[in-house]
Amino acid sequence: MSGDCDPLTSDREAAIDAGATARTATAGAHWHMLYASVRGAAHRRNGLPNQDAVRISRTGPGLVLALADGHGSATSFRSQQGARLAVAVALQVAARWPELPTASHHKRRAEDDWPKELVRGWQAVVDARLGRRPFTAAELHPLEPSARQRLERNPRLAWGSTLLSVILTPSSILYLQLGDGDLLVVDDNGQVNRPLPADPRLLGNETTSLCAPEAWREARVYCQTLVAAPPALILAATDGYANAFRDDAGFRQVASDLWVMLRDEGQATVQAQLAGWLNETSAQGSGDDISVGILWREAT
Amino acid sequence: MPKRPGSELASRPLHFIWIADCSGSMSVDGKIQSLNTAIREALPHMRAVADENPNAEVLVRAVAFASSAHWHVSQPLRVADFQWTDLQTEGLTAMGEALNLVAQQLRMPPMTDRALPPVLVLISDGQPTDDFAAGLDALMREPWGKKAVRVAIAIGEDADHEPLQRFIGHPELQPLQANNPEALVRHIKWVSTAVLKSASSPASQAAGLPAGLNVPIPTPTAGPSSAADVW
Repeated sequence: MSGDCDPLTSDREAAIDAGATARTATAGAHWHMLYASVRGAAHRRNGLPNQDAVRISRTGPGLVLALADGHGSATSFRSQQGARLAVAVALQVAARWPELPTASHHKRRAEDDWPKELVRGWQAVVDARLGRRPFTAAELHPLEPSARQRLERNPRLAWGSTLLSVILTPSSILYLQLGDGDLLVVDDNGQVNRPLPADPRLLGNETTSLCAPEAWREARVYCQTLVAAPPALILAATDGYANAFRDDAGFRQVASDLWVMLRDEGQATVQAQLAGWLNETSAQGSGDDISVGILWREAT
Repeated sequence: MPKRPGSELASRPLHFIWIADCSGSMSVDGKIQSLNTAIREALPHMRAVADENPNAEVLVRAVAFASSAHWHVSQPLRVADFQWTDLQTEGLTAMGEALNLVAQQLRMPPMTDRALPPVLVLISDGQPTDDFAAGLDALMREPWGKKAVRVAIAIGEDADHEPLQRFIGHPELQPLQANNPEALVRHIKWVSTAVLKSASSPASQAAGLPAGLNVPIPTPTAGPSSAADVW
């Protein structure tokens, strides 16, 4: 792949890097979006960057939300870039999403093709970047011999990242999760649910990853039709958010609280506070980077 | 101004468990006294490491094993509140039973999925006299047993490394050998500080790829010559 195909041109990369500021825009007739990303309290103490990335954008069929968490381990020393590439590739893939007549067609395409397009797209740009800028002695020097061997076997490990993506089409909502993180939906009664069940393999600090050779097999996909009762709010977050709460109920309450605030006090109020809340949550909770993307629907 | 969304925040629990051999042979040449001293002297260093990371709540307890195994400190205590009571020796080496006890406490519940990987430190001067394999199997059946950072310290030349290596379960990490009180102090301090620090703020690791350590473990500090070896 040539450098021209790299999804992170310099200006786009800068835009995505501005994750610490809450952003907002209106898309479609009734849906709104906002997102924010903050550097974790532990990352600040240890001089580490924010290794998350998040973006929401208008796209071919409607809206796309993409959110990624770079692994940050010593072996994944380019994972900040890996997370940004994951988000950029997810936006590209969504932009190419065809217009399809029914939710069933979207579901079939999402299950058959979406994970492979995302993984292969991310792996292609990572391979191209490695070709243009091989690992340096300074990057490899801190690694143990066994870590270097792992990297020789799979250089993509250096960019290792998770990916969560949501595509909103006129007929359906498509959810994809590869690795840790959380997807929550709130219905019109304020009830919070997970479109995808928890993955018991994602315990502690281990996560499935885009860098695995056939990572698309690890992706989980769900298609929700918009015909019946569309959600009032969709929230995607990196795992630093849920890990900051004493229990899962406390984290799920984030989604219902945000829905009430957005409905009653408006997006501008929430937008102005969001990054501050995330900083407080990281400092008093997990210490990890926290990124969140929110799509919400005005009551009709 | 609206309040922060969500409910109560909390740092992530990090369970640190000493699993100490108290068999009769530990009474020889002052080994048990040296172990008691080493753990007691390591506590201030452990507290300092915990204080550096307010996003991890370090909770300490201890299992002792001899002819049977029991919780020497049964309740997980914040490291600031943890005090060391001397271990006493008697009988055989029920190491398998000790791992069984730990396995029961690593179930979910009482563990939660938001915990940090636990740190398990197995210390022994001999070889198991019970069904070690059953105890290890029970531990490794628990998701948190598999994800735990498992470190082993062999006291004296008679310590059997084979079960300790099976407990560690990873070729990149070998049991630490302590043939004198100074080495034991050094190893205990290392697990109480360097290992604890790594475990309390672990970066994510890609699962399912060629095996690496769940939590990167720093290289142990090198010891002095063996001229003073007494065990």
